[in-house]
Amino acid sequence: MDTTVRDLSQKQGSALISVENLHAGYGKIEALHGISFHVEQGEIVTLIGSNGAGKSSTLKALMRLAPPESPTVTSGEIRCKGQSLLNVEPHNVVDRFKMTLVPEGRHIFGNLTVMENLHLAAWTRKNEDTRKSLDHIFGLFPRLAERARQRSDTLSGGEQQMLAVGRALMTNCSVILLDEPSMGLAPVLMYDMFRTLKRLNDSGLTIVVVEQNARLALEVADRGYVLDTGEIVAEGSGEELMRRPEIMEAYLGG
Amino acid sequence: MLSLSGLWSLPCNPTASAQPMEQFIQQCVNALQWGSFYALIALGYTLVYGVLRLINFAHGDIFMVGAYISFFVSTFFLSSSGPALSRDLALALTIPCTVVLTSGVGVTLERIAYRPLRRKGVHRLYVVITALMCGLVLENGNLALLGASRKALPDLLDKHIYMISGIAVTNLKLIVICTALLVFFALHFIVTRSRIGMAMRAVAWDEFALPLMGIPLDRVIVFTFMLGSGIAGLGGMLFAMSYPVLDPYMGAMTGWKAFIAAVVGGIGDIRGAFVGGFLLAFVEIMVAAFLPSTFRDLFAFSILLLILWKRPTGIFGMPMSTKI
Ligand SMILES: Nc1ncnc2c1ncn2[C@@H]1O[C@H](COP(=O)(O)OP(=O)(O)OP(=O)(O)O)[C@@H](O)[C@H]1O
Ligand SMILES: [Mg+2]
Repeated sequence: MDTTVRDLSQKQGSALISVENLHAGYGKIEALHGISFHVEQGEIVTLIGSNGAGKSSTLKALMRLAPPESPTVTSGEIRCKGQSLLNVEPHNVVDRFKMTLVPEGRHIFGNLTVMENLHLAAWTRKNEDTRKSLDHIFGLFPRLAERARQRSDTLSGGEQQMLAVGRALMTNCSVILLDEPSMGLAPVLMYDMFRTLKRLNDSGLTIVVVEQNARLALEVADRGYVLDTGEIVAEGSGEELMRRPEIMEAYLGG
Repeated sequence: MLSLSGLWSLPCNPTASAQPMEQFIQQCVNALQWGSFYALIALGYTLVYGVLRLINFAHGDIFMVGAYISFFVSTFFLSSSGPALSRDLALALTIPCTVVLTSGVGVTLERIAYRPLRRKGVHRLYVVITALMCGLVLENGNLALLGASRKALPDLLDKHIYMISGIAVTNLKLIVICTALLVFFALHFIVTRSRIGMAMRAVAWDEFALPLMGIPLDRVIVFTFMLGSGIAGLGGMLFAMSYPVLDPYMGAMTGWKAFIAAVVGGIGDIRGAFVGGFLLAFVEIMVAAFLPSTFRDLFAFSILLLILWKRPTGIFGMPMSTKI
């Protein structure tokens, strides 16, 4: 494990996002014990690991979200485009660094309509080009177009997930972190979602995805990291990780 | 109802049948004015609660501060050693100055008292207690600074009384009622149509996700306090114009009642604050008109209790979900 960590740190010069020896926790309890990883421009990177491994904590720390929902960084470094994010407020991570998160559990604004959710997400943008983004999102998720005027808490779980992803796209970010985007989706919709993510990636979006269905995630991802109780225990390309029997056994259910 | 009263007062024996009706309508007009004050304060309670789930118990005292600010500002504008403006001009300038300065006080309170607590992620209970203490500080700070002598707002408006089929309506009453209505519609528009209003509603639902849209949470919260306090300042000024004797505790009781009005209307819902304010005033004034005045609060609050007993979340309140 030590060698993989050192290997990574050599590549960090050019990485879009690089995390170095990050320690973070909730109050006195440390959840991330010095993790290091990097994400290159245009990649799909996946973080996998069992429940409580620290996947969501990692994404929330990247976004610089505030406690108590998110961990506080105690040491280490998070860089985006070479600049430290540690003292950046979360809305500025979106506004200046063009990175956003589709959080675990969707967190859509249920008291707003689908359209209002999408409009709100365009907060940092000029009015002119939101129309085009809307068409793009409705093209990806036609169901959202049908329900544009509906209060979003009346959507089905899957539709809410589409809205959560659509909303993230509406921010016009170039990096999107997704925390379990397939949660609650029927298998067909799950594959649809990943196909959509792949398409977005092909058009230039950088994606970091946390996924319970590790096999699916590794199939789509360029590279993956395996987390275990706050530490990175393995990394490699999707195929590599899937070929390693001990990983298959421990995290992918054989 | 007004046209009905017209019919009643036209026939030849007005004294016998028209008087109770006229008296009733007269009381209604008074209730509308009184309710406007409650509504203007209740809107601020409901806005802050709707967005932050925080009962800002200092809000009644912000109303008091608004009244005092209007006193100082208008006295300054009228003073012969100062700009010595005409009364109309002084009035026209005092309104925006009072609104802006009072919202400044509200925002300052948020900045120095509530925000640090919010940052630390403490339980809401402590923020509410802090708000209560802030209110006491405002009251007693005022007492310490200005002493117990009561101030009287200078006359800013020539009073006209219009008699409409036996009912006396002053221009000030009309101004108060119209202002309350205007504020309500403006606020309703902001909350339902504007982007910042959308963001306010979004915070009410899910504060966590707001920054993920690139929206600064603090800015939305400051805007909420600005709106609420500015409206309370306007209410304070109109109150001072209607009852021109100011004292440091004027916001306490009125504030509590407005808070109750907001709860009865369904706290978190701006229609609720509005309706609740008028309802409370109506009940109070009708009880006072037809029963000994010592019964007023007893009856008024018993009726409100009954309403809450039937509808615990208030008239417009829905359990938790649809605030603001
Ligand atoms: N808000 C919180 N307050 C305190 N501790 C937390 C909080 N969120 C997570 N933790 C703790 O941090 C550790 C990592 O949690 P995290 O949510 O990052 O796991 P995860 O890998 O996303 O798990 P899952 O697959 O179940 O979503 C867990 O031990 C959890 O108990
Ligand atoms: Mg998680």
